[in-house]
Amino acid sequence: MRNILLLIIAGIAMSGCVAVPVTDTKQSAFPGMYADTKPVSMIIVPAINESTAADAGDLLNVTVTQPFANHGYYVMPVSIVSDIFKREGIIEGTQIKGLPASLFKKNFGADSVLFMTITQWDKNYVVVAGNVTVGIEYVLLSTETNEVLWSYTQQVVVDTSGGNSGGGLIGSIIATAINTAATDYVPIAFQVHQRASGALPYGKYHPKSGQDGADNVVNIAAKDAALAD
Amino acid sequence: MKIIASCLIASLVFLGGCAATVTEAGYYWGDYSQTLYKYTKDPSETTLAEHVEELEDIISTSEEKGLKVPPGIHAELGYIKARQGNDTLAMSYYEKEMSLYPESRLFLERLTVETSKGSDQS
Repeated sequence: MRNILLLIIAGIAMSGCVAVPVTDTKQSAFPGMYADTKPVSMIIVPAINESTAADAGDLLNVTVTQPFANHGYYVMPVSIVSDIFKREGIIEGTQIKGLPASLFKKNFGADSVLFMTITQWDKNYVVVAGNVTVGIEYVLLSTETNEVLWSYTQQVVVDTSGGNSGGGLIGSIIATAINTAATDYVPIAFQVHQRASGALPYGKYHPKSGQDGADNVVNIAAKDAALAD
Repeated sequence: MKIIASCLIASLVFLGGCAATVTEAGYYWGDYSQTLYKYTKDPSETTLAEHVEELEDIISTSEEKGLKVPPGIHAELGYIKARQGNDTLAMSYYEKEMSLYPESRLFLERLTVETSKGSDQS
């Protein structure tokens, strides 16, 4: 359907300069992740929870290390970091948001700092099934330059009943969702991060580091404004 | 088709529970997120012991399989040992983390200073 539409558009623009839909490559979208100064380590601050679910923050905080480390980054141990923050009276990323990122270089030796904002965590129940709609924004800042290195915004519906309505990206998420009597939301939070980290360029500790610059980026939204209150 | 097949495999692996999955970066994580979540939600001696057991299992399983232990595992275990008063063990875990991941040095050295300060006071 979309192709037909494009053909029509192309037809209209037949004079020569055909309007080709611009798909960005990872390298052109996130040049800082391919520069010599690209980050090796990452500190992840406790998620800012703007959703109505009190538990969403914990769920997304405990599950974030694995997917991002698997992507090749040295993730500062989240449980220790949050413990240190807690002692300083910081329990949520909101309290850190305005601070200069260089602070994380000085105090933790981290090259980059990842902020997460949960905008939505809504559980829906239907007769025999259920799902969670999760909205989340990620912003990775350089602790050297304070610049946005990478950002990603997604809203994803994750089936909590292990249904079989396959097809597409959501279908594959459904297929891997775990079906338990009392819904276990840990694997669901995990999948949310797993999907987001797929849009992140590979880091030093991944065998494909530096080789994914030409890959296309999907579902990105520049979130430079995300940190400006 | 391929996607469906791999999803099926993935769910089978999940269902299998103990199947030792190794990621593309070559890490074995066991049930890390689950035990950490349980401890975070309900911090008790039992949930902490379970998480420690998981961390130790990640280290031993990784070593058995000749894999690099994932980032943070040694550091986390060291941090728990330090809080339990076992500074010597804590240091040896921190050392291990620093040798595997030099990026952790500054952070862990600061933690070490804190640890030794803590034991001076007690």
